[in-house]
Amino acid sequence: MNFFEPLQFEFMRHALLTGSVVAALCAVLSCFVVLKGWSLMGDAISHAVLPGIVLAYLAGWPLAVGAFLSGLLCSAATGYIKQNSRIKEDTVLGVVFTGLFAFGLVLHSRTESELHLDHILFGHLLGITDSVARQVYGVGTFVVGLVLVLRRDLLLVCFDPSHARVLALPVKFLTYLLLALLVLAIVVSLQAVGIILVIAMLITPGCTAYLWTDRFDQMMVISVATAVASTALGILASFHLDGDSASCIVLAQSLAFAASFLFAPKHGWLASKRRAARNSAFPSAVS
Amino acid sequence: MSDSPDPPAPLLHLEVQQVSVVYSNGHHALRDATFALSGGTICALVGVNGSGKSTLFKSIMGFLRPSAGQVRINGQPVAAALKQHLVAYVPQAEEVDWQFPVSVWDVVMMGRYGAMNFLRIPRAADKAAVEDSLRRVSMWDFRDRQIGELSGGQKKRVFLARALAQGGRIILLDEPFTGVDVKTEEAIIDLLRELRTAGCIMLVSTHNLGSVPEFCDQVVLLNRTVLASGPTADVFTEQNLTTAFGGVLRQFHFEHSTIQEHDGRTVRLLTDDERPLVFGKDGHLEYKDREGREDLVRQREEQGG
Amino acid sequence: MPDFLTPFHYDYMLRAIWVSALVGGVCGFLSSFITLKGWSLMGDALSHAVVPGVALAHLLKLPFALGAFVAGLLASGAMALIKAKSRIREDASIGIVFTSFFALGLLLISLNPAGVDRKTIIFGNLLGIPDKEVWQLVIISAVTLLVVGLKWRDLMLFCFDPNQARTIGLRTGLLHLTLLTLLSATAVAALQTVGAILVVAMLITPGATAYLLTDRFGVMLWLSAGLGIVTSVTGAYASYFFNGATGGCIVTLQTLIFLGAFLFAPKHGLLSARRRARANAEATAAS
Ligand SMILES: Nc1ncnc2c1ncn2[C@@H]1O[C@H](COP(=O)(O)OP(=O)(O)O)[C@@H](O)[C@H]1O
Ligand SMILES: [Mg+2]
Repeated sequence: MNFFEPLQFEFMRHALLTGSVVAALCAVLSCFVVLKGWSLMGDAISHAVLPGIVLAYLAGWPLAVGAFLSGLLCSAATGYIKQNSRIKEDTVLGVVFTGLFAFGLVLHSRTESELHLDHILFGHLLGITDSVARQVYGVGTFVVGLVLVLRRDLLLVCFDPSHARVLALPVKFLTYLLLALLVLAIVVSLQAVGIILVIAMLITPGCTAYLWTDRFDQMMVISVATAVASTALGILASFHLDGDSASCIVLAQSLAFAASFLFAPKHGWLASKRRAARNSAFPSAVS
Repeated sequence: MSDSPDPPAPLLHLEVQQVSVVYSNGHHALRDATFALSGGTICALVGVNGSGKSTLFKSIMGFLRPSAGQVRINGQPVAAALKQHLVAYVPQAEEVDWQFPVSVWDVVMMGRYGAMNFLRIPRAADKAAVEDSLRRVSMWDFRDRQIGELSGGQKKRVFLARALAQGGRIILLDEPFTGVDVKTEEAIIDLLRELRTAGCIMLVSTHNLGSVPEFCDQVVLLNRTVLASGPTADVFTEQNLTTAFGGVLRQFHFEHSTIQEHDGRTVRLLTDDERPLVFGKDGHLEYKDREGREDLVRQREEQGG
Repeated sequence: MPDFLTPFHYDYMLRAIWVSALVGGVCGFLSSFITLKGWSLMGDALSHAVVPGVALAHLLKLPFALGAFVAGLLASGAMALIKAKSRIREDASIGIVFTSFFALGLLLISLNPAGVDRKTIIFGNLLGIPDKEVWQLVIISAVTLLVVGLKWRDLMLFCFDPNQARTIGLRTGLLHLTLLTLLSATAVAALQTVGAILVVAMLITPGATAYLLTDRFGVMLWLSAGLGIVTSVTGAYASYFFNGATGGCIVTLQTLIFLGAFLFAPKHGLLSARRRARANAEATAAS
């Protein structure tokens, strides 16, 4: 069977399109996540949305609203507890997000609901409903557009917040905006691809791109390109293997990262090894 | 810095009035700090590690709200001064992520963000300002380097260029000389002197005592409060410094210094860093270089008889 | 007969309660070290990274602890390699590796539906745990307790000041490996009781809570172990009323106690800090 044959099915094309949009959305944000050191934050928020989803379901609200609020609660509570106690930030984050997730599980166990915990956790890319797909396209366009417009300011805030503040840029606002966009992206992606894939999508493409370039704009382009390519590859592979599609996408991204880790021209392992060898051969030629 | 003819710059005033800072963990980092500076000065902020130098900077930049007292710039609160982009900040080397994917050019361009349009698309004037600043610190040839690929001194010069490009009039430099070679140090000092002539206020934190009398006309001595402030000759006395530091002796070469026979070779060294500070007899300051201080040497020779 | 005694009438509930007490105690014990060492993210990562090991062990009919253990070590090796040989920061490299391993685990499970159930891995299966696995848990716990009991002073110094530990001639490499090994072993044990996502809570929340309550390491150790036991027992018991959401109950409880400590701890709590700050401000104003 031809590798691309699955694309003759409508649902495969559908999954491919939605998956790619999610991948691009997360990849753009992942550049900031990596540079700001927010990897754990992405992990935490993705889990912390659970109680919001369950409560929104019970209240009859759109699930995304509940998820958004509960994701914000996670980061706000973490900030507050860290400010006011002697516990390190990553520990606080761990305590808070597991607490929220656990609370979500308890809530879920008490509700007789149609809410599929499975779909929230692992996604359901091949069975995405039209309304979720529309949400993904809408929010994706909005978030990516806003990030592109504000990317220089956001970059400055990540790179040197002190300088941004002496220039009287609204640093707090921009930081929270970035966080809110992150939560928003997580919330819509979650419904399409599940928690676990979202976390990987928010970390791995940015890191892969970071190994290839020293320019931020290039980093964004590479990040999006690898993420979308991995998504296509992952979805097709999952069809042929008859395996879980989210896992296949994550693994395709991981392979891209592993290859970059080894072979990237300047920051790859082999390149730095070669450089080290050359420098030790001609110690005077050290630049 | 900008190529449009500047209106005559109004005289600058920086006032720190009875500022106290308490961190959220209850640590009282500054207590009742008071001093004032006017345009056209290089002021050293001297104190041991942990004496509150960075804390004072952060309150001048408005990052920390003092629990008591206030900072005023030209009679206005800090926030208003920041809106006019009056304050520029050259960060400590440790505060910067040197792996960040930005080039020298990008970093200096960040100095212009305050003056740019919403989309931060540089206009010709912005580019000219950046080029001019890079040339003034002799870093133009390095404009396409990633910032991590520079030496310690070059990194410092890039951030100084950013302050120039910004056109800040109050420039705060946090430990600019740590990890910097002597040549760069002198280049930076020359640039600071130029800016002093242009009427800027430079506040330079350092624990490198020896170079302070060489280029600073004023000194603020800090140890969780302002111990003394004023012209270097008045403040930089052995007694004040001993209160602030406690003395540490290091070796020093005297050949070209202003130390004269008249002192009977009685000197005291105070240092906690590479370049020591030397006091002669009667506790007056000794300089490492005679050049430019001939009258001082003559005066002392006369005194010594 | 009051309702709340019914759980004790079932053998499986009694067994669940004592097993979770054991695991909770061991995790709590270890959590003191983890929080001090700042390895929260590592705990989270290892608990996900052991999953492919568990899945493979099921395929090959090996003890799951063995598979998990090997996977855990491989993952921590990969994290260390990426951190050492590239410009990627530690938190991001941990994120990449654990999502990859977890995805691999899920893929293996999805390829072999007859093997271990995905739900068991994600949520734990304390109420239906087979005898064979109880024995593995007992062995893991006993070994962990033994090692920590013998070596806790060395480990404490290693967590607090690794350089000092090296200068006085302790083998820090070995201690590092020991702690990592213990961490993956307990992560596997906790996987059974609360599931992969919530393991990290078992490994940090009791320690963080104890850290707010005391300044003595010895006290902290016992306090966190005690908290681990009490919350696990209560949570396992309560899960009878919550459709078997054991992990959710245990971790929700732990988080609530943490919040209590955050607010009311005698010295490091929010309220006492407020009180101190007010006294401080008054003293400043008076002087
Ligand atoms: N964010 C903070 N929270 C609590 N204490 C702090 C914080 N930042 C600095 N300190 C403390 O305030 C004191 C002064 O610090 P700093 O201003 O950085 O000193 P310096 O720059 O002179 O070395 C130090 O004792 C330091 O530990
Ligand atoms: Mg400092």
